[in-house]
Amino acid sequence: MAKAAPVIDSVDALTARIATMRKAQAEFAKFTQEQVDKIFFEAAMAANKARIPLAKDAVEETGMGVVEDKVIKNHYASEYIYNKYKDMKTCGVVEDDKAFGYKRVAEPIGIVAAVIPTTNPTSTAIFKCLICLKTRNAIIISPHPRAKKCTIDAARIVRDAAEKAGCPKDIISWIEQPTLELTNELMHSADIILATGGPGMVNAAYSSGKPALGVGPGNTPAIIDDTADVRLAVNSIIHSKTFDNGMICASEQSVTIVGDKTYKAAKAEFAARGCYFLKPAELDKVRKAIIINGSVNAKIVGQSAYTIAKIAGVEVPVKTKILIGEVTSVDPSEEFAHEKLSPVLAMYKAKDFDDAMAHAERLVADGGYGHTSSLYINTDETEKMDKFEEAMKTCRILINTPSSQGGIGDLYNFKMPPSLTLGCGSWGGNSVSENVGPKHLLNLKTVAERRENMLWFRTPEKVYFKRGCMPVALDELGSVMGKKRCFIVTDQFLYKSGFSKRIEDKLDEMGIVHSCFWDVAPDPTLQCARRGEEQMRAFEPDCIIALGGGSAMDCGKIMWMMYEHPECKFEDMSMDFMDIRKRIYTFPKMGEKAYFIAIPTSSGTGSEVTPFAIITDSDTGTKWPITDYALMPEMAIVDVDNMMTQPKGLTAASGVDVLTHALEAYVSIMHSDYTDAVALKAMKQVFENLPSAYDNGASDPKAREGMANASCMAGMAFANAFLGLNHSLAHKLGAFHHIPHGIANAIILTRVMRYNAAERPTKMGTFPQYGYPHAKARYAEAARFCGVTGKDDDEVFEKFLAKIDALNEHVGVPKTIKDFGIDEKAFLATLDDMTEQAFNDQCTGANPRYPLMSEMKELYLDAYYGREPRSYEDE
Amino acid sequence: MKLSDKKVELASRGNKVVYADGDRIVKVFNSEKPVSDVFNEALNLARIEETGIRCPKVLEVSEVDGGWAIATENVPGTTLAKKVADDPKHEKKYMEQFVALQLEIHKHTSPLLQRQKDKYARMINGLECLDATTRYELLMRLDGMKPETAVCHGDFNPTNVIVGDDGKLYVCDWAHATQGCSEADAAMTYLLFALDDQKTADEYLDLYCAKADTPKQVVRHWLSIVAASELSRHRKVNEEFLMSWVDVADYQ
Repeated sequence: MAKAAPVIDSVDALTARIATMRKAQAEFAKFTQEQVDKIFFEAAMAANKARIPLAKDAVEETGMGVVEDKVIKNHYASEYIYNKYKDMKTCGVVEDDKAFGYKRVAEPIGIVAAVIPTTNPTSTAIFKCLICLKTRNAIIISPHPRAKKCTIDAARIVRDAAEKAGCPKDIISWIEQPTLELTNELMHSADIILATGGPGMVNAAYSSGKPALGVGPGNTPAIIDDTADVRLAVNSIIHSKTFDNGMICASEQSVTIVGDKTYKAAKAEFAARGCYFLKPAELDKVRKAIIINGSVNAKIVGQSAYTIAKIAGVEVPVKTKILIGEVTSVDPSEEFAHEKLSPVLAMYKAKDFDDAMAHAERLVADGGYGHTSSLYINTDETEKMDKFEEAMKTCRILINTPSSQGGIGDLYNFKMPPSLTLGCGSWGGNSVSENVGPKHLLNLKTVAERRENMLWFRTPEKVYFKRGCMPVALDELGSVMGKKRCFIVTDQFLYKSGFSKRIEDKLDEMGIVHSCFWDVAPDPTLQCARRGEEQMRAFEPDCIIALGGGSAMDCGKIMWMMYEHPECKFEDMSMDFMDIRKRIYTFPKMGEKAYFIAIPTSSGTGSEVTPFAIITDSDTGTKWPITDYALMPEMAIVDVDNMMTQPKGLTAASGVDVLTHALEAYVSIMHSDYTDAVALKAMKQVFENLPSAYDNGASDPKAREGMANASCMAGMAFANAFLGLNHSLAHKLGAFHHIPHGIANAIILTRVMRYNAAERPTKMGTFPQYGYPHAKARYAEAARFCGVTGKDDDEVFEKFLAKIDALNEHVGVPKTIKDFGIDEKAFLATLDDMTEQAFNDQCTGANPRYPLMSEMKELYLDAYYGREPRSYEDE
Repeated sequence: MKLSDKKVELASRGNKVVYADGDRIVKVFNSEKPVSDVFNEALNLARIEETGIRCPKVLEVSEVDGGWAIATENVPGTTLAKKVADDPKHEKKYMEQFVALQLEIHKHTSPLLQRQKDKYARMINGLECLDATTRYELLMRLDGMKPETAVCHGDFNPTNVIVGDDGKLYVCDWAHATQGCSEADAAMTYLLFALDDQKTADEYLDLYCAKADTPKQVVRHWLSIVAASELSRHRKVNEEFLMSWVDVADYQ
């Protein structure tokens, strides 16, 4: 046998013991779940076996409580705690989600300082030792001097069984001669404090600077509503209040009864079951005996009703269960309104339920913030129960339950965790508001592996293409979908030049009635959309066709949204997002009223396949960019017959816009294999077809068709990969200086590409897929696909920029912003605003390089003056 | 120092005799009184004087007949206790003055005065009439006292308040002065009243709590502590009474 450890009776001895315990705990921390569970089992078994002698010892030593009830507490502390936590994982990996790369690893905290009260000495010792063993913590107990022998005996039994089952020595220890100095020293040296005790103790625990799980006083009020089962209520309260002579902190201290009738019935039941109602003269004697200057007389704690009456000089039958004082005041000056830690109960009469709640609230506020409250009621009275739940500032609210047994959990409700340390939340100055258990004694480490964001690829359910496909596609409306009423949204030019007529003829042929709103202007306004929507609402279409360029299609999308969901607000819908899948605002489902078809008449915006729409409120000048897949058309018809007569300027501007779409989507931090494919093909087609489409117009239908498909594919790419800084900057050039969108994009394109291509950017974009700055390699990849060759990425990149410059020049894009005719003074005056707004543009977030505003300003200035190209490296 | 022949004995308690000697009051301690205690009392008085609280000035500390003595100013006037005894009809008025004076004192700080908490802890630790468990309970309760710095007289009762002939109030006998929790100081005053008369004690507490805007239970919370510290003065007559206040349980 090893020598017994030296007694802890001084700070030095305590320090030495803690040092040994640290070593033991370090070893214990390596134990597996299996080893720990074996120890937990043996320790619980041993404690349970000793429940009767420990109960006897506790009563004998403290002179408080009832042996038979303490047996139950010891039994509970071993059996219920074991049962609840036997399968809980407390060692190493306790959760492992491989798909998400998310793991939780449990580690012990170290040394637990446990302060144990006189009221429940052995059961609390068993409870705290067991949860420490389960969590591989070491525990050192500071017992109360009045209960030190039985507390230490209980701890010793658990320790011996644990050590026999393989637990390292010294994992469970105690202070033999508790003093304030040692207790304070213990709290300072431990890693966490499990304090159970009075306010002084809990204060000391919290001021020790170590994390503490402390509990405070209770002053549990019980209400018996006039709908309650009075017999059940009264006998539950007697059962609870007499349990261990009323020493459980959750025990009822007062009962407030609603209404005369219930009061009378309850009083009769209390009396019939052996409770004693104090006569007026006796009341004062008991008041003086139980509370001295506002504190409980230590001599009455845990004594029987008879003994307390005797101390007070009141004669009651020996078998009296509870002394009941019928009182009216809930003020602290009324002794009966206090926590009494004995079978003494205050009884109040309330005129109604609200009055009873007011009593309970006051009693809780003056002595039991955060602890427990109790209500006896017919559970059909949900309204009253809701009120009670809401009003009580207590962490346990018990319904039709004896509060001593109910508060500690798992006896009258099987989801409430069993515990002998009851958190009282911030109301009670505690760090926990629930019943304390093993989880509070663990440090849980989270291991999070890098994962790539989930992505999707979304397009309209049908995209018709090839010259002449429009009538074929429209035929489906009648033959397949059985649509009856179709509404066309377009602009004056297209309406007057007969473009919409071709649709109407087809609809007539199928017997689909139709109406047309043909007043969409470029940069459509909300007011215009509202007019169209009014017409639409009157017509009640089951199908909407938007025919035109970006403006008509955007306006059609907005009208569709307003028609389907008039309740939606543009302020909400236009809120910026970081990730479209995590945005704050959820768009409603579309398509419940009408099917939406987009038919482009120019090859540029790709709006027929994108979830974007921009609308301007002409009253306020606010531009609402609306983005959501809800706005994605359900069918797109890309028929080059609709695009043959585009004017040259439009061909040029929308053509270079397509190239920008494809390039930005290709280097976006959200690009994917799916968007790459369409982006590459789109940009290649621009290089191959735009010059001829620009030069030859309708006389080269092949080139026109190439551009139509390029536009749609680029739309698909950026509908899913989004755009970048180029668009952010161009949007503001359009907004402030009215440079057509495509031209604005093209003027700055190669500079932004250089800026993005920097190998040492100031900051890069944030997205798990984007691991390191590599936009230059991406541009080079795209360049090679478009036929550019060279010895390395640098050369290819330079040649690619030259190729883009050449294309721009061919289609008449000015070289600088100044060349477009923007006045220098006007430009400089708006520069700061443009910069800030461009920074805040929704497109900025997907850019591979996260821009600083100062850098964006430089880009604007470089593009304005046509300064010599530079590297934009962060040097 | 030498006392003159004109000296008049005012009081004689345990280890000291108090004389009025012309314009001086001299407290003469016998040789059993530790010298450090005498100097400490003089030091307390000097510190209190520096705070601006009205009190008799300390004039001299020196040996007298083998013991040590403190000489202070003799403030011309009458103690508040005597005023009340002579004029019981106006007891309420005097009580108001008394409470107002105590609250005024509590507003002062004196950073070098000894700490109330330390003093009480020392007194409780030295009590042999209490068992270790009760001392532990008391120390635990005391440990929850927040660190406060109000000047506390420690023995504030009407015999220590002089109504000067100039109409101003002076406070004497600062031997127990500390810095700490004003409610605990009020608890001590309540206790001193209660030793004589519970009714006056209750009147005092009502008035103090109303004027200080403090709940009574905050004052009462310290009664077991001050009762224990009073026990350490070993006055047999009060022992049973004080013991009945000491043995209370903290809520668990």
